[in-house]
Amino acid sequence: MSDRFEPVIAVLCCNWCTYAGADLAGTARMKYAPNVRLLRVMCSGRIDPAFVLRAFAEGADGVLIAGCHPGDCHYINGNLKTMRRFPQLKTMLAQFGIEPARVRLEWISASEGDVFVKVANEMTGQVRALGPLNWKVRAAVEPVSGLAEHHAG
Amino acid sequence: MEPRVGVFVCHCGTNIAGVVDVARVAEAARTWANVVHAEDYKFMCSDPGQAMVKQAILRHKIDRVVVAACSPRMHEATFRKACAEAGLNPYLFEMANIREHCSWVHEDKQAATLKAIDIVRMAVAKARLLEPLETRSVKVEPKALVVGGGVAGIQAALNLANAGIKVVMVERQQSIGGRMAQLDKTFPTLDCSACILTPKMVQVAQHPNVTLYTCAEVEEVSGYVGNFDVTIRRKATYVDPDVCTACGICLEKCPKKTTSEFEEGLTTRKAVYRLFPQAVPGKPVVDRESCTYFVNGKCKVCERFCEPKAFRWDDTDKVVHERVGAILVATGYDLYDASALGQWGYGRFPDVITGIEFERLNNATGPTGGRILKKDGTEPKSVAILHCVGSRDRNYKEYCSRVCCMYSLKFAHLLREKTAATVWNFYIDMRCFGKGYEEFYNRLLHEGVKFVRGKAAYVTDQPANDDEKGRLVVSAEATTLGEVLRVPVDMVILASAVTPQPDAPAVARRFGMSLSPDGFFMEKHPKLEPFSTATDGVYLAGACQGPKDIPDAVAHGAAAASTAMALISRGEVEVEAATAQVTEGACSGCKVCQDICPYAAIGFDGPKKVATINPSLCKGCGTCVATCPSSAIVGRHFTDQQVLAQISALFAG
Amino acid sequence: MSTYAVPMLEVPDLIKESGGDTLDLCYQCGTCSGTCPWNVVRDFRVRNIITRAQVGLEGYEGEDLWLCATCNACVDRCPRGVEIVDLVRTIRMIIGESGSLPKTLRAVMGSVQSNGNPWSGDPAARTAWLKDAPVPRFDGSQDAAYFTCCSQAYDARNARVGRATLAVLKAAGVDLGLLEGEKCCGDAVRKAGGESLFQGLAATNVGVMNGLGVKKVVVPSPHCLSTFSKEYPALGGRWDVQHVVQVLADRVKAGKLAMTKQVAGTAIYHDPCYLGRHTGVYDAPREVLGAVPGLKLLEFARNREDAVCCGGGGGRLWMETPVEERFAVGRLREAVARGADTVVTACPYCISMFEDAKTALGMDSMRIADVTEIVADAVEG
Repeated sequence: MSDRFEPVIAVLCCNWCTYAGADLAGTARMKYAPNVRLLRVMCSGRIDPAFVLRAFAEGADGVLIAGCHPGDCHYINGNLKTMRRFPQLKTMLAQFGIEPARVRLEWISASEGDVFVKVANEMTGQVRALGPLNWKVRAAVEPVSGLAEHHAG
Repeated sequence: MEPRVGVFVCHCGTNIAGVVDVARVAEAARTWANVVHAEDYKFMCSDPGQAMVKQAILRHKIDRVVVAACSPRMHEATFRKACAEAGLNPYLFEMANIREHCSWVHEDKQAATLKAIDIVRMAVAKARLLEPLETRSVKVEPKALVVGGGVAGIQAALNLANAGIKVVMVERQQSIGGRMAQLDKTFPTLDCSACILTPKMVQVAQHPNVTLYTCAEVEEVSGYVGNFDVTIRRKATYVDPDVCTACGICLEKCPKKTTSEFEEGLTTRKAVYRLFPQAVPGKPVVDRESCTYFVNGKCKVCERFCEPKAFRWDDTDKVVHERVGAILVATGYDLYDASALGQWGYGRFPDVITGIEFERLNNATGPTGGRILKKDGTEPKSVAILHCVGSRDRNYKEYCSRVCCMYSLKFAHLLREKTAATVWNFYIDMRCFGKGYEEFYNRLLHEGVKFVRGKAAYVTDQPANDDEKGRLVVSAEATTLGEVLRVPVDMVILASAVTPQPDAPAVARRFGMSLSPDGFFMEKHPKLEPFSTATDGVYLAGACQGPKDIPDAVAHGAAAASTAMALISRGEVEVEAATAQVTEGACSGCKVCQDICPYAAIGFDGPKKVATINPSLCKGCGTCVATCPSSAIVGRHFTDQQVLAQISALFAG
Repeated sequence: MSTYAVPMLEVPDLIKESGGDTLDLCYQCGTCSGTCPWNVVRDFRVRNIITRAQVGLEGYEGEDLWLCATCNACVDRCPRGVEIVDLVRTIRMIIGESGSLPKTLRAVMGSVQSNGNPWSGDPAARTAWLKDAPVPRFDGSQDAAYFTCCSQAYDARNARVGRATLAVLKAAGVDLGLLEGEKCCGDAVRKAGGESLFQGLAATNVGVMNGLGVKKVVVPSPHCLSTFSKEYPALGGRWDVQHVVQVLADRVKAGKLAMTKQVAGTAIYHDPCYLGRHTGVYDAPREVLGAVPGLKLLEFARNREDAVCCGGGGGRLWMETPVEERFAVGRLREAVARGADTVVTACPYCISMFEDAKTALGMDSMRIADVTEIVADAVEG
C-alpha cells in the first residue's frame, strides 16, 4: 500500500436491510474499498447518537448510518426515528467542527448491494479527500447520558 | 470472573482463506485480552468444525465463542446450536463476518487481512460483555393464511388442509385459479390447463379445512411467528352467495357490457359477471365501476330476473380478523406492459398480440371460440413468435423469464395444428431445461416450424417491396448466417417478460418482506430456502418469488406448505430473547418510549411510575433504547456497553 | 492450406484497452444488425464485426467497417449495454493506424491535420464567413461563446445557415461572442478512427476556450454538442454547452423571442442522431418550430428516439454512397409522401445530406432548412 491516506469509516447499520445489502454485495462478489467496517444493530432506530460520537472520538474518519428505506422498516418505522435524529446529530457534529461529509445517512435495502458498494466507495473517496479527522475531544463525550437531550424523539 | 473467549476462524475452503490470511487472524486473536483459545479450520460449519467448537468449550472452559466466518444471516443459528449442545447459553456466541463483508469484496490481501482482524476484534469485544439470555417459547396458532389463489397457493393450501391444518385463503379476484386459469394448453404435455386446474380449484374451495375469501385482500398484518393477526377486507359483491344458485340468468340479462380483464380486453363481459365459466366460487358478482345502477342510479334489470332474490344493493365491505401461525404469500406475477415496448409494434398494429392474448384466442371459451384469427376475422398465413421481448434486456428486465421459450414452442405447435400458417420463432437461446422440454423442442422441429437464431429488432408496417404490402414485417438478423432477414407475416406474438406484480413493494411491506433486485419477493436463501423469507413464519409460494412454470410453482407451493406445516405441527416456537428491559431505578416515567414503540409493547406501572415492557410483544428493535432520555432501557444483546466496546475495539488495532 | 479460423486474442485485448471496453458484453442476439438502417438499403452486419472482434478473427477490417454512420440506433436498443459506436470507432482507429483508411477519408483526415478542418479550407479563412457578423468577437465579457462549426465556415450552404443562426440569436437578445482560433471539434474525426488527430484538436480547442475564460458555449452542430458535453470534460474542457435550438427554446419559453411574421408552408422535422439519440434533445427544436406563426409541422413515421439517420455521421459525410442507398433519399421521399414542402433539421451534416438527396432526386420545390432559417423568416427585420 502506498502512502495514500486510508480513512476508516464505521458503518452503523440495521440487520435487515443494509447489513443484508452488504451481504448481497459479497455474494455477488462486487468489489469496494476495504476502508469500511460494519457494526450491526437490529434496527437503525437503535443507533444512539452517542455511538457516532464514540466512533469519531476513537478515531473514525467517517461514520455511515444506514437502514431500510422509509416505509420498508422491518420494525414498521424505526428508521423514521433515525431520520428524525439525524439532522440534530449533524448540527451537533458541525458544532464540534466535524465536516458534514464525514457523516452520512443512507437507505440501502437488502437488494441494493450495488448501492452499498457505491456509497462505500464514494464515502471513502470523499473522506480521503478531507484527510484524517484526529478528533481529540473524547473526554467531552464520555458520559453517554450527557447526550440525552440530543436524542429524545 | 473474567470471561474466557474462544475464537474460531473459518477458511471456508478458499472463499475466505484465498484472500484473508486466516492463520494471521487467529494469531492476532491470541494476543487479545480474555482470548484463551484461537484456531483456524477449513470449514467451521461442517460437523468436525462444530465439534471443534464444542470440544474447545469443554476443554478450555470457554464461556464466550466467536466464530469468524460468513454472515450471521447464514450460520448464526448453526453455531448457537453447537454452543447450546456443549452446555453454553446460545447468546454467548458472536459471529464475525469475514466472508461477505471482507474476503468476497476485497482483492488486496493485506488490506483484507487487516480488516478481518478488525472485524474479529470487534466481535471479541462484544463477546466479552455478552450475557446469557433465556429463550422463550410461545404457542403456534394451528392455522395458516394463504395469500393468492393461483396454482401455487392452491397447492400450498391443499397440502396444509390435507394435513389437518386450518387454512384461510384470500384471493383478490372473484375466482381462484390465477394465471393458470387463463392458459389454454400447458407445455410440454399439452394437457388442457383448465382440465387439470379446475378439479384442484373445486377441491380447495370445498375442503372442510379451508375458508376461502374471494374479492378480498389482506389489509394489515401484525404479531409475529406463530401468532399473526391478520385483517382481511372482503369487498362488497352485491350478491348474497348463500342465496344465489348460480343459475346465470343475470349474466344473460344484464344490459351493460364492459371490457373483460380475464380475456385480456379481447372481448367484453357484463357488469354482473363471473370471471370465467369455471370460476370457483361460481357465484356472480356486481362490478360497481361499470354497473348502470351504481353509475346512473337506475337499472336493476338483473334483479327482476333473479328468482332466489340474491341481489343485495346495500352490501358493504366487510372486515374479517383472523389469527394464524404462518403466512404463505402466493401473489403471482404480472406481464410486461407490451405497449411500452414500441419497436415491436404492440398497440400500433392490431395483429401484434401478447402471449397471454394468444392463450385466450386458443381457448374454446375465449373470444374466438378457440379459433386463431386476426383482428379482421381471417386466419393468418404466417405468424412470427418473438422471444425475449422485454426479458434478458437491460433496457427492460435483465432476467430470463424462464417460461417464454417453452410457451413459444407450444404456440408454434398450436398454430401448426390449428392453421396452415408458416410459423417463425425468433429467439436468442432456446432454454428448454425441464423434464420433457428438450424433447418437445425436437418435436417442433419435426412439425416444420421455422427457427431463426436472432432477436427481432422491430416490427414495421412500412413495406420495402410488394410482398410486404399490407403485412407486418419482422426485421431480425439470422445470426448464424449473418444475414438480416425481413420476414412478412400476418400476426406477431410477443413473448413478453414475466414481471413482479405492480403492488409487490406494498405487499412486501405489509408482510415484512424484502424485494430482490429484480423486484420479486426476496427469499431467505436463494438455493437452500427459496420458500422462506427473512421474517419467521412468512413463506413464499410460486412466481411471486421469481418467474416459474407450472411444475415449479406447484413444487414451490408444496415446499412452502411443508415448511409452514413443520412450524405448526411443532406447536410452539422460540421467540426473540434479545428484547428490551426497563431498569426501574433509572426510569423517570416520562413515557417517551411508549409513543415510540411500533408494537405497543411498552406499558406503564402507575404506582411505581415506571415504564414496563411486555416481552411477548417486544421484537428487540432497540428504538426505545436509543430514545430513552434517561438511558433506562437496556437493549439486550445490543447493550450500550456492548456496542460502545465494539466501536472502541475497531480502533484498538 | 488450412481452412480453420485462428483466433488472435491480442485483437480483442487491444480493442478493450483502446476504448472498446464493452466488447465482451455482446451475447450475439443480432438486435444491432436488425435495427441498423443500412439493412433496409443494403447489407451491413455490425454484429458480425463485433463477434469477429471478440475472438480476433479477420474480416471486420473490410469496407463494411466504414459504413457505420454512428447513428446510435443499435446502441439504444442493445440489451446488453454494448457501446457499439465506441467499438466501431476503436476498431477503425486500430485499422486506420495500420494504414487501411479508405481513400476519401484519408484526404479528409489530411485536411484536418494540416488545416484544422475537414473541408480543405484555409485556416485563416475560418472567420471570413462572418466579415459583417452581427455579433462581436468573444472576449470574456459575454455570457457565452459561439463555436463556429467547420461546415458553417467552409461549406457555402451551411454558411447561410450560420448567418441566419447569428441573426436569430441576436434577435433573441442572446449575449454572445464569436470564438477565434478554434479548430474542428473532432467528433467525426474521432468516430472515423482518427483518435490521435482528435486528441490534438481537443487540446487546441480546450486551450483556446479555457484561455479566453469560456464558461458557456453555444454550438450550431449536434456533433460539437455531443463531443463537448460527453468527451471534452475528460480532456479538460468543462463548459456549459448548449445547442442553438436549446438556447432558442429557452428564449421562446421566456417570451424573449418575438416571431411575428407568418411562415407559410408545411415542414417536417428530422431528428439529427447526435441531437436526439446521442444527447437526448427532442423537445427543444419542436418547441421552437411550434412557436413559428403559420407553420404546419409534421412528423416522420419514425421520429425522436426511433428516427432514421441522414447517413452523414461517423465520416460518412465525406464518403460516396449510391443514390438509392442514401438514408436521406428515403427520408426525403417519405417527407414528400406525407405532404411536406420543407424538411427542417438542426445539424449541418443533415443539411448537406438532404441538399444532396434533393439534387439527386431533382426535387427542386422541396426546401431543406435549418430550424434557425425558419425562425429567421418569422423574425421581423
